[in-house]
Amino acid sequence: MNLHPSPEIRHAAWNIWQNPIFRRYCQSRLRPRGIGITLIIVLLLAGFITAITSSFGLRGTLTASDTARIGAIVLLVFQCLILFILGTAQVAGGMTAERDEGVIDYQRLIPMSPLAKVVGYLFGLPVREYVLFLATLPFTAWSLWKGGVSHTVWLPLYGTLVSSTLLYHFTGLLTGTVAKNRRWAFLASIGLVFCLYTVIPRLADFGLVFFKYLTIAPVFSESLPGMLPATAGAVVSAKQQLLPTAKFFNLDFSEVVFTLFSQGGLILTFIVMLCRKWRRTESHLLGKAWAAGFFIWIQLLLLGNALPLINPGTLFPSRGFTRMTGILPDWAPKPGEAVLMSGLYGLASLLLMLILTSMITPTTDTQLRGWRRARKLEKSSLPTLGDASTSFWMMLAMALAGAAGWFVFSRALVESHWFPGHQLGHKAAIGFTLLMLAIGTAYQSLLESKGGRAITLAAIFIGVVPLMIGAVLSVISNNLISTAYWVCGLSPATMPFYASGTLLPISDLPESAQATIPNAFHFWLVLTLLLAISLLSRLWSTRKKISLQIPTT
Amino acid sequence: MSHTPPAIDIRSLRVDYGNFVAVDDLTLSVPPGEVFGLVGPNGAGKTSTFRVLTTLMEPTYGEVLLAGIDVLEDVENARRIIGYMPDLAPVPYDLKVAEFLEFHAAAYGIGNKAARRDRVAECLEEVALTDQRDKWCKELSRGQTQRVVLAKTLLHRPRVLILDEPASGLDPLARRDLRNALRRLAANGATVFVSSHILSELAEMCTSLCVMNRGKLLASGTAEQVRQILGSTERTITATLLNRHEEARAWLASQPAVHDPVADAPTVTFRFLGDDNAQADLMEGLFHLGIRIRSFEEKRSSFEDILVEVAESNRA
Repeated sequence: MNLHPSPEIRHAAWNIWQNPIFRRYCQSRLRPRGIGITLIIVLLLAGFITAITSSFGLRGTLTASDTARIGAIVLLVFQCLILFILGTAQVAGGMTAERDEGVIDYQRLIPMSPLAKVVGYLFGLPVREYVLFLATLPFTAWSLWKGGVSHTVWLPLYGTLVSSTLLYHFTGLLTGTVAKNRRWAFLASIGLVFCLYTVIPRLADFGLVFFKYLTIAPVFSESLPGMLPATAGAVVSAKQQLLPTAKFFNLDFSEVVFTLFSQGGLILTFIVMLCRKWRRTESHLLGKAWAAGFFIWIQLLLLGNALPLINPGTLFPSRGFTRMTGILPDWAPKPGEAVLMSGLYGLASLLLMLILTSMITPTTDTQLRGWRRARKLEKSSLPTLGDASTSFWMMLAMALAGAAGWFVFSRALVESHWFPGHQLGHKAAIGFTLLMLAIGTAYQSLLESKGGRAITLAAIFIGVVPLMIGAVLSVISNNLISTAYWVCGLSPATMPFYASGTLLPISDLPESAQATIPNAFHFWLVLTLLLAISLLSRLWSTRKKISLQIPTT
Repeated sequence: MSHTPPAIDIRSLRVDYGNFVAVDDLTLSVPPGEVFGLVGPNGAGKTSTFRVLTTLMEPTYGEVLLAGIDVLEDVENARRIIGYMPDLAPVPYDLKVAEFLEFHAAAYGIGNKAARRDRVAECLEEVALTDQRDKWCKELSRGQTQRVVLAKTLLHRPRVLILDEPASGLDPLARRDLRNALRRLAANGATVFVSSHILSELAEMCTSLCVMNRGKLLASGTAEQVRQILGSTERTITATLLNRHEEARAWLASQPAVHDPVADAPTVTFRFLGDDNAQADLMEGLFHLGIRIRSFEEKRSSFEDILVEVAESNRA
C-alpha cells in the first residue's frame, strides 16, 4: 500500500451539489423505500386540498379564481408544516443522532471547512422535507395561476418562507449540536418553533415589535389581501390602510425587506455559532465581540421598531384590544400600561444580556487552557477577546447598552403626547444602569467563579422562590401584600418592573404598593450592588489563582 | 543533515475533567514507521490521550506534535495526516458499507468517482471485507464493524494512524490479519499508535509500547524493557540437582538476588531478581561448590500478571 497523502482538496461551501455531507444524506434519506410512502401521502394531501377548494367554485358562490386563492393559502400552511415542523425536527434530531452514534467524530476529522460542514448538514439532513415541499409546488403554481395571484404577492411570500425555513433549520441544527440527547433536541426544536409562532409574536403586542419579524406572519399579513378572494382581500386591504405601520426608525422598509434583514442577522449569528463549534467543540458559541455586537444590534432593532409606533399609539397593547372591539375614537393608553411596557423592555434586555453572558463566560477548564496557550506563546496575559478571558468587560458593555436602550424606550413613552407634561430625568437613567450592572455583575461573577451549578441554584432560590413565596403571601391575607411586594422584589425577574414603577414619573402604582415598591426596589438594588461587588472581588482572586496554576515556561 | 521530526511528540500533556485528572504530565515520543502500543487498564487515560492527539479535545496543557505539526495550533493540517479509529468504532445505520466508505473518500478529496471506488475496493480488500461491500452497516457483526472502520481510517493514506482498541471484538484470525496489516502500514512509512488493555496483544503487534495507569506513564520501550522497568525481571527458578540439596539451598540463601529458596529433593526452588549475567554466575557458583545440576528452569510473570500487578499497586 503506498503512502502518498491525498491531494489537498477544499470543498467549497457554496458548491452544495459537490458537498459530501449533503450527498451522503441525499443517498440515505432519498431512497425510494424511505421516501416513497411519505411522498405519496404528501401528493395526495396537496392534490386533495387543490381539488376540494376548486370544487367549491363549481357549485358555490365563489368564483374559480377565489377558490384557487383559498387553495393556495391552505397549501402554504401545509408547506409551512412540512418545512418548519418536520424539517426542523429532522435537522435537530439528525444532528443529535450523529453525536449519539458517535459518527460525528469522523465528520469532525474530515478536511472540510466548518462552513462547508454546516451547509452540508443544513441542506442534507432535511433533504427529504425539501423534496416533499417541492412536490407540493406544482399544485401551488396551479392555484396561484388559476387565482391570478400577482408575482409581487407570492414572490415575497415564498422568499420569506425560504428565509424562515433557513432560520428554523439553523435553530434546529444549533439545538442538535448543543443538546445532550436526541429526545431533548427534538423536543427543544419543536418547542422553539412553537414558541416562535405563539409566545414570541405576543411580545410584539407589548412593545417588543421586532420579535414578530422572526416569523413569516408580517409578510403573510402584507400579502394576504393579494392572496384572499377579491372581496375579502379588499376588506383586509382597507383595514390595513387604516393601521399605519411605521417601521425601523421611519425608514419605511417593506415587511419583506425588514423580515429578511432581521432573519438574515440571526442566520448569520447562527452560522458563526455553528462554525465555532465545528472548529473546536470546546469553543464558546459566540466570540465576545460578536456577543456584545449582537446585543447592541438587537437593542437597535427593538428601538427602531418600537419608537415610531409610540405616537400613533399602535405600540400599546390596549390599542390592539380596542381595535377589535371598535371603540377606537376615545382610546388613550393608560400610564400603568406604559410602565409595564417599560418594565418588560428592561426584563427582555436583562434576560438577553444574561443569556449572552452565559455564552461567553469561561469555565475554569477554559481559563486553564487559555493560560496554557498564553504561557506557550510567552504572553503574560490572556487575549482580551479570547474565550478564556473574563466576560466581565463585555457584560459591562452590554449592561450599559441595555440600560441606554431601556432609558431611550422609557423616555419615548413618558415624553410622548399621550402623557403631556412628563419628563424622564437622569435619575431613571442612573437607576436603570445600576440595576443592569448589579444583576449583570453578580450573575457573571458567580458564573465565572463558581460555575453553572451555582447559577442554577441562584436562579431557583433568588429568581423563582421569592416569586412563589410572594404569591402565596399575597393570597393568604391583604395585610401581607406589603410583605409580598418586599419578597418579590428580591427576584431579578421583578426588579425591572419595580424600577419602572419607581423611576417613571407617570407611574400610578396601586395604593398598597405606592410606598412599598420604591422602598423595596431601592433596598434590593443596594443589596444586589453590594453582593455584586463582593462576588466581583472574589472572581478577581479566583482568576488570579487559576493563572498561577500554570507555571511560566 | 536533514532532521526527521518524531511522528508523535507529546510533551507534558495534561487533561482535566473538572477536578479529575485523566492524563497527568505525559511525555512521549514515537519515531516514524513504528507500531507503538499504549496499554493500560480502563480509566488509564488512553482514550483522552487519543482524543487530544486527534484534535477532538483540547488538553488542559501540554503540547502535541504530529510529524512536526502542532495539533493545537494547526488543526486543519494535523487532521489531514491523521487516521483515527475510536473505541467501539461506530458506523451510521442508514448507509451501506460501500456508501459509508465512498462518502469518506469523497470528503477526503480522493479523485473522481472511479478513483474513489477503486480506493474503497483496495481498503475493503485490506481488511478482508470485499464481499460485504453492499451490506448495510447496521447488519455487520462487531468484528466486521471494526474492520469497516479500519478500512475507512486507511482511505486517505494517513501518515499517523491512531487506533483505539482496534482488536476488541475480533476473532483470532482477524487479529492476525490486523497485526499483519499494521505491520505492512508501518513498513510503508506510516506510524501506528494503537491502544489496548491487553498487554500481550500489543506485545505481539507492536515494535515498542508504553504502559499508562491513572493518567500517568509508567514505562515505555520494547516489551522487554517495559517488563524490566515495571520491576518484573523477577523470575521463579527451579533447579533440579543430583546431590547436596540442603547445602545448595543454604548457599543460595546467602546470595543477594535470591529470595525464599526452598529445597524439596530433587529440586530447589527460589525467586531470582538478578539479570542474565547474575543468573549465569549463580549456576557457576553452584558448580564450583561441587553441586551437580541436571536442569535449570525459569518462569517469568506474564504480561497480564504485570498489568494486574501495576493496576492493583496503584489502586492500593
